[in-house]
Amino acid sequence: MTASPRVTLSRRRFLSLTGALAAGGLALGATGLWPRWAQAEPELARRLLRLGRDIYPHESIEDRYYLAPLTPLLEARRDEIAAGLEDLDRRARAAHDRDYGEIEGVAEREALLREIQPSDFFQAVRGALVVGLYNTPELWEPHFGYQGSSWEQGGYLNRGYNDLVIDWL
Amino acid sequence: MSTRFSHDDDGVVVIIGSGAGGGTLAHALARKGIKSVVLEAGRRHAMEEIENDEWAMFEKLSWLDERITAGPRQLTETFPNLPAWIVKGVGGSTIHWAGVSLRFQPHEFRMHSEVGDLPGANLLDWPISYAELEPYYVQAERHMGVTGESSGMPLHDWNNNFKVLAEGASRIGYRQLRAGPMAINTRPYDGRASCMQAGFCMQGCRFGAKWSTMYTDIPRAEATGLCEVRPNAMALRIEHNDAGRVNAVVYADGDGSLQRQRARAVCVAGNSIESPRLLLNSHSSLFPDGLANSSGQVGRNYMTHATACVFAEMPKPVNMHRGTTFAGIISDEAGLDRSRGFVGGYTLEVMSLGIPFFAKFMDPGQGGWGRDYAGILEKYDHLSGVWICGEDLPMEENGIRLHDSRRDQYGLPVPIVYKGDHPNDEALRRHGQQQARRCYEAVEAVRVFDVPDFPTSHNVGTNRMSARPADGVVNGFGQTHDIDNLFVSDGSQFTSSGAENPTLTIVALALRQADHIAERMTRGEL
Repeated sequence: MTASPRVTLSRRRFLSLTGALAAGGLALGATGLWPRWAQAEPELARRLLRLGRDIYPHESIEDRYYLAPLTPLLEARRDEIAAGLEDLDRRARAAHDRDYGEIEGVAEREALLREIQPSDFFQAVRGALVVGLYNTPELWEPHFGYQGSSWEQGGYLNRGYNDLVIDWL
Repeated sequence: MSTRFSHDDDGVVVIIGSGAGGGTLAHALARKGIKSVVLEAGRRHAMEEIENDEWAMFEKLSWLDERITAGPRQLTETFPNLPAWIVKGVGGSTIHWAGVSLRFQPHEFRMHSEVGDLPGANLLDWPISYAELEPYYVQAERHMGVTGESSGMPLHDWNNNFKVLAEGASRIGYRQLRAGPMAINTRPYDGRASCMQAGFCMQGCRFGAKWSTMYTDIPRAEATGLCEVRPNAMALRIEHNDAGRVNAVVYADGDGSLQRQRARAVCVAGNSIESPRLLLNSHSSLFPDGLANSSGQVGRNYMTHATACVFAEMPKPVNMHRGTTFAGIISDEAGLDRSRGFVGGYTLEVMSLGIPFFAKFMDPGQGGWGRDYAGILEKYDHLSGVWICGEDLPMEENGIRLHDSRRDQYGLPVPIVYKGDHPNDEALRRHGQQQARRCYEAVEAVRVFDVPDFPTSHNVGTNRMSARPADGVVNGFGQTHDIDNLFVSDGSQFTSSGAENPTLTIVALALRQADHIAERMTRGEL
């Protein structure tokens, strides 16, 4: 198909074959690589993770890739973020009698987030993630099939810029 | 490189800006033996600083001084301080442009004659015709290395992204499908390398295969010894003598100190926001409404293009990120055909974004998140995209105004960039979105979705050309109607936007203006 290996598919297939995806919370949630603020306040980090993973859900991306781009935000506005999470839990308890993270239905959680979508808190988290999470080079090729910087390899002139065969019609 | 002109040297032409207009002009004047000082607000970038990294280059290159986005448009909400995506640096936005080099069509120079008066639009014919500009188009194409007849370079091969769009387009009956013309070398040309299909055209071409004044006109002008480029020099005010002729430009240098460069003539080429802003900020007792503004048209008729993006997920990987960013053009809808329900036309230009930008721009509004959103991003490598480049009608109320109280780091009023759509723009955009959708559906897209406008790189019209001084700011040579030795040399001269990317026309106009200035100097008129 192409000159470069399709790491994405093989990795995803590997994870699903081995059952690692199902046990994602355990397998991918190792805290050893978490940023310092998250290790210091793991409870806060877990609640923020649930939120971040609901904003941009990618099952096979490890927790630390969500936490890293949130670091500047936590350093600058920790109390505001904590208050935002409290508010989200209050709303969750009012609607579902439980904290946000305990709500099992994905659609129910997303509906709660649509309510707070215009808030500074929500947009600060979303804004940090949309720029940070997707600007993580380690994730590009394995997860999205994006190959990043190419000039060092002579571009794609001989690496598949025109290798597509439209064979599905 | 080392030429230095004295601040008191009143024999130099002062050119403000070093991009497609200013950079081309400085070089063309130098070849005719005419001295110039180029004041460039941004710094120099070395080739080694050009990375294949969307956000890093955005930070390095973009004009990020405070601007206010205004008007009834989504950009006002999504990018309140970034109405335009243009460059601050030696080379200007030619570092960032994607190389598409289409000529305007003959009828686009006389839109008013073609379609008459349209309510709400401030339509006007250009004071020059296609026939007058044609020789300069040929010259510009050779100068820049535009693939096709003028340069002799073949067009690019179709990349994956264009193959997908073109297959769909041909299935719905489109016939004008071309991977060009582009000012991107398909073989070594003019001392520059051939394209390596690296992508990242809008982040600056690391190989120099795409034309940019950064590594062509600017160093070549400097090498003549007749041009001095001063980076980090922000023009603040153009001064004039009692007779109303301009004679100096006051600017802030890299240390923030004020300097004053005397001038024989002044050519303004700071793009369509800064150029009118500078003229407005240069008001004086003789010109209380700003320089060259007797018509009241300075800063008005701001046009971008009527645009939208359409992306589609295909059944198999496309890898749109491989190869040039704007790799192919469909021109079947570019003509004037009022039966479609709008005037003006549009080109469909296949485009790509990397995942960092695509994640941000797919929906930059507050609602750009969630399971569906992430689901599309998971299919990034299956995506293909197209950008609609459509005629945007001039409206008098669209334009650049100065804020009453907000000041920038130089103490100048912050520009407010106001833009609303004419109903014609909306009709054109809808048509373009629908046709792009049909193209992708014809090639069996899994899903097709609209992507909203992002900060525009095409900004034109705010110092427009006109035959009569009452209708515009400059004449057919870019010379202001009011001030004999003051010129506008960038896209702000455009009387209409056309359905084509503006750079080629800016370069053609700059080459023509250089001839004009040289002739008038020879005749002792300037």
